[in-house]
Formats: sequence, C-alpha cells, structure tokens
Amino acid sequence: MTVTLSASVPTARTRRRSPVNRSRVAAWVAVVVIGLFGLAPIYWLVVTALTPDDRAFSFPPSLIPTEITFEHFARLAENPQLFQYLANSVIVSVITAILSVIVSAYMAYAFSKFRYRGRRSLMHLVLASQLFPQALLLVTLYAVFSATGLLGSYTALILSFTTFTLPLCVWMLKGIFDTVPSTLMEAAAIDGASRWRTLHTIALPLAAPGLIAAGLFAFVRAWNDFVFALTLADPARQTLPPGLVHTYLGEFQTAWPDLMAASFVVSLPVIAAFMFLQRYLVGGLTAGAVKG
Amino acid sequence: MRKLTNGQFAWLLMAPGMALFLAIIVYPLVAALVTGFFEQSLVRPGRTFVGLANFADLLGGDFWPVLRNTLVFTLGATVIPFLLGYALALALNSGLPGFLRGLFLFPWVIPGVVVSFLWLWIFNANYGVLNGLLGTEISWLGQPGTAMAAVIVTKTWASFPWMMVMLLAGLQTMPRELHEAAAVDGAGAIRRFRSVTVPHMKGIAGIVFLLEFIWNFQHFDTIYVLTGGGPAGATKTFAVAVYDTAFKGFDLGHATALGGLWMVLLLVLMVLYLRKEAS
Amino acid sequence: MNTLNRRDALRLLGLSTLGVTALAACAPDASGGTPQGDIAAKSFGFTSWSLNEEAQKAAVQAIVDGYAGSNGVKITAASFPYNEYLNQVTLKLRGGQLTGAIQLDVAWLGALAATGRLRDLATPAAKGGYTDVALSSGRTGGKQLGLPWTTGSIGLIANTGLLEKAGVDGMPATVAEFEAALRKVATLDGVIPYAAATKAAQLKDILPWMRTFGSPLLAEDQITVGDDPSVAAVEWYKKLYDAKLIAPDVDRFDARALFAQGKAAFYDDAIIARGVVEIQAPDKSLTAKMVPLSRPVLKAGDSPQALLWGHVIAVVEGEGADAAAEFAAHATSDTATVAAFFEKVKLPPTTTAGLADPKVSGDAFTTEWTEKITKTATANPFWRYAGYAQIETAIAEQVQAVLVGDSSAKEALAKATETAKDLQK
Repeated sequence: MTVTLSASVPTARTRRRSPVNRSRVAAWVAVVVIGLFGLAPIYWLVVTALTPDDRAFSFPPSLIPTEITFEHFARLAENPQLFQYLANSVIVSVITAILSVIVSAYMAYAFSKFRYRGRRSLMHLVLASQLFPQALLLVTLYAVFSATGLLGSYTALILSFTTFTLPLCVWMLKGIFDTVPSTLMEAAAIDGASRWRTLHTIALPLAAPGLIAAGLFAFVRAWNDFVFALTLADPARQTLPPGLVHTYLGEFQTAWPDLMAASFVVSLPVIAAFMFLQRYLVGGLTAGAVKG
Repeated sequence: MRKLTNGQFAWLLMAPGMALFLAIIVYPLVAALVTGFFEQSLVRPGRTFVGLANFADLLGGDFWPVLRNTLVFTLGATVIPFLLGYALALALNSGLPGFLRGLFLFPWVIPGVVVSFLWLWIFNANYGVLNGLLGTEISWLGQPGTAMAAVIVTKTWASFPWMMVMLLAGLQTMPRELHEAAAVDGAGAIRRFRSVTVPHMKGIAGIVFLLEFIWNFQHFDTIYVLTGGGPAGATKTFAVAVYDTAFKGFDLGHATALGGLWMVLLLVLMVLYLRKEAS
Repeated sequence: MNTLNRRDALRLLGLSTLGVTALAACAPDASGGTPQGDIAAKSFGFTSWSLNEEAQKAAVQAIVDGYAGSNGVKITAASFPYNEYLNQVTLKLRGGQLTGAIQLDVAWLGALAATGRLRDLATPAAKGGYTDVALSSGRTGGKQLGLPWTTGSIGLIANTGLLEKAGVDGMPATVAEFEAALRKVATLDGVIPYAAATKAAQLKDILPWMRTFGSPLLAEDQITVGDDPSVAAVEWYKKLYDAKLIAPDVDRFDARALFAQGKAAFYDDAIIARGVVEIQAPDKSLTAKMVPLSRPVLKAGDSPQALLWGHVIAVVEGEGADAAAEFAAHATSDTATVAAFFEKVKLPPTTTAGLADPKVSGDAFTTEWTEKITKTATANPFWRYAGYAQIETAIAEQVQAVLVGDSSAKEALAKATETAKDLQK
C-alpha cells in the first residue's frame, strides 16, 4: 500500500532511496500477481483456440501446447455470418454510446444546474429503477416493441440499451457538471448567451473527456448484453453474444476451440479501440465522478 | 424560447431521457409489479387476482436461503474485485508503463457470455486446466462451498478492470501537495495512505462499490452458465430464481412477486445508505 | 448530494403508488389472442434451431429450399440457440409474432400446448405412415400437436474396448451385473466407469433409473417420487458416487467428451452421440467400439427403461397454417426426404417406410439402437406439465443434495415432491 506514494517521494529528501525502491517493488509485485490472475485465462483462451479438436479434452492439459492448429481461425473466415454479428454489435454499441451520451448529458445538466420541483424525486427514481430484475422487464418490453412495430430492429436494441445505461451515465455526468463553476455560466449569461448556447459552448466542451468515458461505459453495456439482444433483435440483426452462442453451443455439441478463437478475434478491435481511448476513460472520470 | 422558466428549460432537457425512461423501464416495471398480485402464466392466456398470495408463498418457502446466497455472492463479488482493483490502481498510479492499463481491460471487453464459458472450461472437474495445474481432482462446481467460490472468482475477474479504471481516475486527481506535506510532517507510508489517500478517495470508492453491489445483486449470466444455481441450490441467487420461475416454470406471478420483494429490499438498503451518506 | 429526507422518501413512495394504481387497470396482458391472418396464405415461417447448428444447417436448409422451390411457397426461416429456444418461441407466440411451422423438442410440447395456439395435426398424422412410438411423441393432452421429425431415445452407450480391458464379459443385463462391471472398470487407471449426469441440468437422467427400480414417477397426477423404489434408486446412485464409480460435476457434454477420450466406459446419450464422439475422439477406432445397450433391469425379465427423445414439427394456427402443415408433413414423412436427411445428420426417421429405406436400415448402429433402446422407450411423464423443467430441476436439486451429503434420500425426495406438487399445472 506504499504504492501511491512513490510520486511524492522525490520532494521529501533523506532516507528516500530505499522507499522509492520498496514502493516500486511493491507496485510491480501487485501488478504481476493480479496480472497473472487477469491474463492467465486469456492465455488459456488462446491456447484452447489453437488446440486441435481431438486434443481439446485431454487431461491433464498441456500448458504449453504441443500440437498447434490454426484451423479454428481459418474456419472463421469461412463463416461470413460471424462478421455480420460483429458488424451488428459494432453498429448497435456505437450508436448506443453516442445516443446515451447525448440523452444523459442533457439530463445530467438539468439535474446539476437547475432547481425545480420533482428534481430530487426523479433523480432517485432513475437510480431506483436499477433495483428490479431486468429479465422481468423483457416480457412487457417485448409487447411494447411489438406494438410499436420496432421489434427485431436495431432501434429496439439501441433504445433499450440506451435507457439501461442512463442511470450510470447521468450519475457520472452530473458529477462532472457539478464541478463546472456556475460563475462561468453566469458570466456567459451576462454576455447575452442563451441557456441553450451556454450549455453547448461552455459546459459540454468542459465535460468532453467525461462524455467519452460515459460513452465507453454505454458501449460496453450494449456490447455485453445477451438476453435482450437475443429477444429483441431478429436473427439478421443479432449481436455477437447471442451470435456466438448460437453458432458454437448447439443442442449436441459445444465447439470450445472454435468459440475461443472467435471470441478472441472479435474482441481484438474493441481492445484496440479501448487502448486508444483509455486515456480519456481515466482522464474523463477524474473531473466529476470523484465527487459523486 | 426565451420565455421558458429555468424549471421548464430543465424539463425540456430531460424530455428525451424521461421519455425513454418511462417507456422502457417504468412502464414495464409497473406492469411487472402489478403482475405480482396475479396468478399468471407465461404460456397460458388469462390471469386471476390473488392478492398477496404469491408473496406469502415466497416468504414461507425458498426466499431465505436464496437471500443468503444472494448476499454471499454480492458481497464476495463486490469486495474482492474492489480490493484487487484498488491495489492495482495504486500500483499503476505509481508510474508504471501505461500500456499495462490497457492490458487489464481485456477481461472487460470480452463478451460476458464468453467469460462465463471460458471459466466453465477452466473449472471443469474432469478436464479443466485448473485441476491440471494443481494436480487435483476437485469438483469445483460440484460442491456447494467451492461452487460459490468459483462463481465469485469468475465475476471478480470480469469486474476488477472497470473498478480499477474508476479508482485510478480518482487517484489521479489527488493533489500531490497533500502527500508531500504529510511526508514532510514525517508521516509514514501507511499513515499517509490512511490519512490522505483514503479520505480523498471516499467519494469515488463509494460510488464504484455501490454500483458494483447493485449490479451483482442483478447478476445472472455467470451463475447461470457455471452452475445453473446448483449444486443443490447452493448458488441460487435472486436473479437465477426469478429467471427459473419465469422462463422455466412459466410462472409470471411468482417471478414478479419475487422481483418486487427484491426491489423493496434493495430500496431499503439504498435509503439507509443515502441517509448515512447525508449525515 | 443525494440526501434523502423523509419528505423525499414519501414523495417517491407516493409517486410509485400512484403509478401502480393508475396502470394496474391497463397493464398489458399480451398472452392469448386469437389466430389472425390468412390461413390459406402461401407464405409462412419456419422456426428451427437446427437451421443454425453447424452439423445440421445445410441439411435442414436443403429441405426448406427444396420444398419452397417445387411447391411455389415462400418460407421465411428463423432460428434461436437451442438453450434459449423455448423461451424465445414462448415470448413470440404470446406476442403473436410467430406463424407457420416450428421445430420443437418433444419435451416442450406440453408447455406450448398450454398456449392454445398450436393446430391439431391429427389428419396429416394419420396419413403419414408414422410409427406408433413416433406419433406418441407428438401427442399431448389427447391432441396430435406435432408431427414427429425424428424419434429416438436417451440410452446407455458402452465402450467395449474398455470393458474388454477391464475383463467384463458380455453386456450387463441387471443392475447388480452393471454395478459389478463398474467396479471392474474402476480398476483401470484414470477411467470413470459410468459418466452419469451429476450436474443439475441433466440429473433428470436419474428418472429412468427410478423407473428401473420400480417407481412409476407419476400415477394419475400424483407424483410418486419419494416412494421406496425411487429412494432405493437415489441411494444406489449415492453409493456409486461415493465409490467414485460415477463422477461429480458431469453433464451430457462432459460425459461425451470423457467418453470420446476413452475415459468413460458407460454414459447416457442420444443416438446423435456417435457423430460428435467421432469428431472429438483422438482414437479414430473408438466409434467402432461404441455400442448401445439396453438399460440394465432390476431383475431379469423386467422391461428395460429408456427415455423417449426426439424432435417434432408443430404448426401455429393462423397465417399460412395450411401450407405450413403440408410442409411439416412433407419434411417428416416423404421417404426420399427423410432418408436423405438421415444420411446427412444420422437422426432416425419416424415413418415405417423411412426406417425401412436401405439408407437407414443399412446403418447397424441405428438399427441396433432402435431395437435395443427406442423400442421400449417411454416419454417423461412430467412433460405434460408446462412447468416440467422446474419439476425436473426440483428433483435434480434434491438428488444433488443427497450426492453431496447434505440430505438423506428419503428426506430429499419428499422435499422434491413437495416442491414439484406446486408446479403441476
């Protein structure tokens, strides 16, 4: 737990050398131990994907594969449907992320910067809605989408996921708007800017990193969902989680190596995007979420 | 436009969100809560009003063991990833290379279903890599004690990355001067952690913990794939019980009643929490 | 932020109460509904999980395309994963979103019959030339709601190679002989003698054993699980478990994988098993050593027990139902079609003519299976209840409690029956 302190060390002098090293060592130990836990399963996923079908169930399994095959990866290329699922997932998750950010930013701004009747009750209602089993919403939600003719469309998925991410996004963004000093907005008002303009030219740009962070959370929610994606989208618009289950977990057979190969490949683009965006993820949260 | 009061303007901003919220969460939620007072089947048409009978059935039956399992799972799968995420965030905040952070996001973006199946594969008693590694023949998912541990480990693996990210964000806003001042005053590392880092992190840590707690209370996939609630009901949580009742037993009445009880329980917890926070 | 004082709490409560009362009256009941649409329409849907399963999709698609092409109808195919299939079909039937023909597992027929939306197919069933046992698999509540597409059974499969190695002569015919054989196999290193299902999902495999010991399971709507024979069956299972003759944490997929690795001498499976084992087995001669056997009986002369298993095609009343029924009859009873289907997927056909087709009768494994197992197979009596899966789960959970030592067989089964009684509807 001395870990955080290394940054402060250079300023305080005397007996400083050894704590530097000690906290560094502690940090590395923590990273290695947790890293082993975090990455070993990924390693095993890759190893399984490289194992020939008839070796997949041998025991004890060899930690370093003795026989490697790329057939499971090659087979992916022959399965255009998988890429359709990937495309659906990307479409649904990206639009969900964007829509969530827009809708929840307005809502959070209203919660943060204005005082009006019902504000507090609504904030609590939004939070409390998280407390009911979502699987049970499905039964009625199905009827709602069926009645509006949206059933089976991307829209049904996007609207559902956007709504499910609202509580978290609103909460996060409200924290961020709370830190934007009201004086800035008052100054803008004095200069004659409308509330609408103040929101767009002052508040939103200041909250930009937070918006990206909220968007990433919304993305992951949509990306991971199984039950709603399966039920509300028709087969041609199904996302990866139901798609993978459908393709590899059959009535009679579970194609483990194929499932692992497919999961690995389809996760790569998202990992790459996250690696690129993670500095916003961390940077964006620093402003507001801390205050809560 | 200029004539709008601040209150009206705020409602205008909230309109799209509220519309979605009412249509997609509130309406189905209310419809479901109402169903809890009926005897209603998912397959058979029609329904009968039965008052509180469904609730009485539940409270006189399996409710308590399920509550116990839910609490064990929820606490375990919240506290452990929280501690891991915190430790990792502290470590990464001490100037380790940035790409490590990205590496740890891997478990977070692999689709949840796949995570469950990956661990099912690892824990398998007869050809799983865990037994291979340890040289044991333990039926991890086949015994009540280890089965609960196994689902908690799996959920921990999937959760600690996002908690780490949030906590790291908090750590990065901590003004350096605070630590420096404390160090000059001669405070040791542990003292400084307790008197500087912990108070600074209280807000974000509280949120991360609360959200993960609520989500775990809801959590379904991992348990369902790994154990299906077994063995002998040892990992049957509310989420699994509700799903089984509604979609295997087709008994919407009891399922929604259980959902209602669960919501009341969480509401009480939430009110207590917010009260405490306020004082 | 987020202080919640009493007034807020009351307001929240008031708001929700208001909402509940307001909507209580008009909360939707999407179930029911009457058939709509043009019954004589020439286009209909076909919902089938096999349409998306690697091993079968080409064969099923060929039937669909072939029929659509030669009969001038339009078939819209849809598909859900097997494990989610029943839920999805139920939701879509409730919402009136599902029309045409649907593939069903025989176990699900009772549940879907409760919706009242399936057409009685008695007329095409009478003309199809189906075998009696096949027809019985599509019948529930006195109506023929499904045309049998494939009829088989869940039965015991043995690895004769392992039995030979362990010195077991001939196939065990009684429970005592079976247990003795298991004990011999147990001397082999790293082999699970009987990879019986011990995970809740397939612990229902114990039901045929309960019958073997003499429990009827269900007598005139009275669940008899908990009677002496069923208790004896569970105690026997527990004995095998403690002696490590059966292993913990095994489901059908695990059992099959173990068998394919040559690490299990016996296990329960459907006839389709052979194809899967063929892919998974490192030892390519294993399929030659795979034989089906009749489930051992308690005393010589008893009839061996097996669980009936299969797929049927049902038809939803409404849009395109006439054409869908014709398609269902064609897919399940046209001899050329079913024989070609068998050749590709090894699922046994359901008509006398289909079974007699040389493509089918020439397959020794299938013939043997039909003779030794399917012939005496009976349906799971709980299937007639919509909540059958939960009844099975209730029993499975209690049997699991016995296996892990939490409960005695007698107490556990009494408790299971108590739970199951509430689900008989």
